Amino acid sequence: MTSYVQRQEKAKFGEDRDAEMRLKNNRLGMTIFQASWIMVFLALIVVNWQLRFSYAQWPPEGVAPFDPLLPSAATLALILSALLARRGWQALRLGKLGVFLMSWRLNMALGVVFMAIILVEFTVVSEAALATQYGVTMRLMTGFHLAHALAIMAVMLRVYRQAGRGSYSGDPRDSWPVEGAVKLWYFVTVAWLMFYVVLYWLR
Amino acid sequence: MATQHEAETVRRPALSEYLRWSVDHKIIGVQYGVAAFLFFMVGGAMAMGIRLELWTPTLDLMASGSAYNSLFTMHGTVMIFLFIIPMWAAFGNFVVPLQLGAKDMAFPWLNAFAFWLIPPAAIVILLGYFVTPAEAGWTSYPPLSTLFSGDGQTLWALGAHLLGISSIMGSINFIVTILNMRPPQMIIWTMPLLCWAVLATSIIAVMATPFLAGALTLLLLDRVAGTTFFDASGGGDVLLWQNIFWFYSHPAVYIMVLPGMGVLSEVLSIHCRKPVFGYRMVGLSSMGIAFVGFTVWAHHMFTSLQPELRIPFMITTMIIAVPTGIKMFSWLGTIWGGKMRFTSALLFALGFMSMFVIGGITGVMLAALPFDIHVHDTYFVVSHFHFVLFGGSVFAIYAALYHWFPKVTGRMMNERLGRIHFVFTYFGFLFTFFPMHIVGMLGMPRRVAVYDPNFTDWNQFISFWAFVLGFSTFIVVYNVIHSYFRGPVAGANPWRALTLEWATTSPPPVTNFDDDPIPFEDPYGYGTEASAAYLDAVDAAFSGGRPTPDGNQAD
Amino acid sequence: MENNRSNIPSISPAAVVVAAVFLLVSVIGINWFTTFVPEVLPAQASAESKSVDELFYILVIIGGLVFFLIQGMLLISVIFFRVRDDDRSDGPTYHGNPLLEVVWTIIPALVVVYLAVISFNVWNQNSEPKAAVNMINGEETVIRVTGARYAWTHNYETSRLNPEGEPIVINSGDKLHTYIGQNVDLELRAQDVIHSYWVPAMRVKQDLLPGNPDTGGRPTEIRFTPARVEGVEYPAEYPIVCAELCGDGHGRMRGTVIVYEDEAQFLEQFYEPAIHAILNPPADPVLRGEIVIQEYICNSCHTLDSLGWSSRTGPSMNGIADRAGERVAGQSAEEYIATSVWNAQAFVVPGYTEQMAVFGPDQSDANKMSAEQLYAIVAYLCTQGEQSDCDNENSTVAIPEAIKTAFGLDVDITFGQGDSEAESAASETSEEAGESE
Repeated sequence: MTSYVQRQEKAKFGEDRDAEMRLKNNRLGMTIFQASWIMVFLALIVVNWQLRFSYAQWPPEGVAPFDPLLPSAATLALILSALLARRGWQALRLGKLGVFLMSWRLNMALGVVFMAIILVEFTVVSEAALATQYGVTMRLMTGFHLAHALAIMAVMLRVYRQAGRGSYSGDPRDSWPVEGAVKLWYFVTVAWLMFYVVLYWLR
Repeated sequence: MATQHEAETVRRPALSEYLRWSVDHKIIGVQYGVAAFLFFMVGGAMAMGIRLELWTPTLDLMASGSAYNSLFTMHGTVMIFLFIIPMWAAFGNFVVPLQLGAKDMAFPWLNAFAFWLIPPAAIVILLGYFVTPAEAGWTSYPPLSTLFSGDGQTLWALGAHLLGISSIMGSINFIVTILNMRPPQMIIWTMPLLCWAVLATSIIAVMATPFLAGALTLLLLDRVAGTTFFDASGGGDVLLWQNIFWFYSHPAVYIMVLPGMGVLSEVLSIHCRKPVFGYRMVGLSSMGIAFVGFTVWAHHMFTSLQPELRIPFMITTMIIAVPTGIKMFSWLGTIWGGKMRFTSALLFALGFMSMFVIGGITGVMLAALPFDIHVHDTYFVVSHFHFVLFGGSVFAIYAALYHWFPKVTGRMMNERLGRIHFVFTYFGFLFTFFPMHIVGMLGMPRRVAVYDPNFTDWNQFISFWAFVLGFSTFIVVYNVIHSYFRGPVAGANPWRALTLEWATTSPPPVTNFDDDPIPFEDPYGYGTEASAAYLDAVDAAFSGGRPTPDGNQAD
Repeated sequence: MENNRSNIPSISPAAVVVAAVFLLVSVIGINWFTTFVPEVLPAQASAESKSVDELFYILVIIGGLVFFLIQGMLLISVIFFRVRDDDRSDGPTYHGNPLLEVVWTIIPALVVVYLAVISFNVWNQNSEPKAAVNMINGEETVIRVTGARYAWTHNYETSRLNPEGEPIVINSGDKLHTYIGQNVDLELRAQDVIHSYWVPAMRVKQDLLPGNPDTGGRPTEIRFTPARVEGVEYPAEYPIVCAELCGDGHGRMRGTVIVYEDEAQFLEQFYEPAIHAILNPPADPVLRGEIVIQEYICNSCHTLDSLGWSSRTGPSMNGIADRAGERVAGQSAEEYIATSVWNAQAFVVPGYTEQMAVFGPDQSDANKMSAEQLYAIVAYLCTQGEQSDCDNENSTVAIPEAIKTAFGLDVDITFGQGDSEAESAASETSEEAGESE
């Protein structure tokens, strides 16, 4: 699949050394940024983990554990959303702008569903939980993640509008904003998966 | 300005270029360097204040213990976050793209942005002096930094946050530049060792600095939003900060010293006219230090960690000595049998080896847990990390300054003043910091304004030599200003070095090279006919060192 | 020299001479270094200190070898391989020697393993829990240490009982009393920030960590066994130092370990007199206050010449009784002093910051101060001044009244002794207090 896409691109756009170098730099830079910034999320997991030892049990006594049902649905929505973002990007690379726009409408809709559910989870933490680090670290992690998801959703929205105006040909060398947004959304997904497991399943 | 004639022989960017937003890595490098050196002077003045207060065993110069506490807090913060780390960004910025034969960094705009985060961060941190300045030490252990500190602590955390982000952005830039933008002839095993060191440093910075961001976020939330992550009465844990903070701040020591090791490899090889001994091991040991550096953080917590967890960290800490030793012996192998020219750059490089080895020895001593328990948080530790960060990093910064100043400005530094500067710095440093080991072992804890009167003589000795060390800085400041205007014209390659930054005019034109430069096959292949021919060709190409008149037009 | 430079790996006679000179210098130098070891360390006043110092001795020898090796090689290079600045020739193109590189990787690695093993052994030996700790009169005692800004407090929970049948607690302030051979095992708690309990002469140090007071804090432990130091007169004194930055008065946060020659001397000079003083306290509130005030950590922040205090974090207490009447409008001198001791936050003297802990009435641990103790302290402080604002003639009435007004609590001015005379005085006081309301 990829090699086919690449061949298509070569045939369509020819060679441009500077643009290729820029793309190569952007891709490597994005990878390193992802590896780096995921460490903040790991740091917050360390926080959650170490604070568990302040209590005899986790969740602390008298605190009801979080119900994983809604967050699981949100997680599913987020994964689907990321897959759709990827599908849209693949379509754009083949020049199918219509498929891209449709996938991304769905992708962003699912992303909003995810954020809405997590916002609800963030808001309705019980008083008992908030009196302990169980609730506070949960708010810290979901809030921190939501802030990132929101920012990157804004980026995706902007990219979507630009794409609608035909700013991106689908050649990776001049469509970096699309590829970058997709990769940032992957980042949001991976970061959430880690948080999801730590918050809702590791007791 | 000296004479019109002399000033015209070197074509440099106008000084106003340095005060503006610029995406040229050479301008940004100088911006970093000058800003960092100014902060070095600020931090140095604070150190003089500290030593003045310690002249007597009682509190007399400062209004209160808190004033003294804020002084060393700011000294540490300024020296680490605003001097050493940005200073290496300065040399990395100026030299690395040139050594790679690249026209600029991978992300020029990001590069400028990373620099311009530093002045506001510095202002935010120093604004603390208008409220209650941060006074919990640069390590800012809670609950002292949360429940018992004033608003300056919040500003400190905000400023440190900005500097961390700046550091991450700069490091991403370095890694991408080094990995992607080498000329096709330069494989990773023929890359100059400064690039290896900057690569290792940047990998540490991108992996560790986010932990600082996490820790500072929690600190700010505890201070501003009323959370209790570090407050035990709310289910928090004071050791949580120490874990996360040192997971960044121990590797940060290597962020501060690894580029210096890269500089050493360059300077020793070039000024002794001999290839770097064991090039691969020197490059790989940087990576080894970077890797092991992530596993040792809890040795900063030997007196607070649960006793059974201390042993593993003692072992990993000792292991660090092995790659460091490899570097040290390789440098000895490099100078052994070479043709040493006592340039100021080489003197400072030798000074680095001579002083850093003491920091290494005391580092192993501190790793030995039972002995560390005695000297933990004492002047022994103060002495140790100054041997690493001053005897190491600052000596390397001076070596780099004397070495690359001709490339940056097109003029040579005054060598006689350089030697005087070296003598003052070397002895000022040695006699300031070596006795600190002894007062530490005898029972003087760090971060105190009031101490046991038995240590008065020692402290006066230390303070005297600290003032000598402080004075030595003015010599280099004078030398830089004097040489910038009146120094002899350097030419393209005054040291006859093989790395690519010397294969262009001094200072290089805006695009660095007129066309794609071809690196010599071995960056340190001195002593062969091929290298001599290459160097002669470089000299010839730049007409005996005079820059081409049209290579240099800004805008 | 020429030969030396071109044949680096081969062994020439000159190299042998240089190596021999180097070895000689190293041996002499390291020997000279090690003569300083006892001088740069405090007295070896504990069993642990001997093994730690032996470890340090080994570290100095190995470190000295590395030091002389590197500095020696540097010196030799500087002397033999220097050329004139205008010499444009290059050195030999010598890229390395794999064997040498393996050697200088393996040897430091082995040295490091050796050091790790001996350090581990010393650590194990020193940190092993001991049986029979804090033995006094054949019984184990709990010794609690509280670190609070900026002083140490030592509490001995003895097995002796007071007349009410409760165990007697000796508060020895910033002094730890022990004797040679006693297995000291202290329970450390921090009250506010992190402190670090360091006794340089014992080579021990442990951080005190603030924990959740509701669950008993976060105690840490420190163990050492005092040992005899030759040529020292007993009881011997060694400093206790705070080694973790704790704020304004960190440098002054010090204490003293007093080591007695044997248990008999310990009992005679410290333990029995302390128990006696607790069982038979002076009835005069002023005398009593002078003792009680020294059990708290007031000296870490305040100046009071009568007791030799000289700290400057808080306002001076010299002549406090002269000013106490005019400080706060509507408060008598007694009320002002009582409020300032129990709840200092109520009025902060201009020029100072809110740093003082609250001492009553519901505090725990080291900050627990009963109304009776407050009464005694106020009585003592009321005597600090030329023309005291306090009603010192009438202190047994005026002070309890002030405490009643400020905090609504009754004071047992007999300190629980309850002899008939005192009882009647107490009832009078409470009656009067009732009337005055």
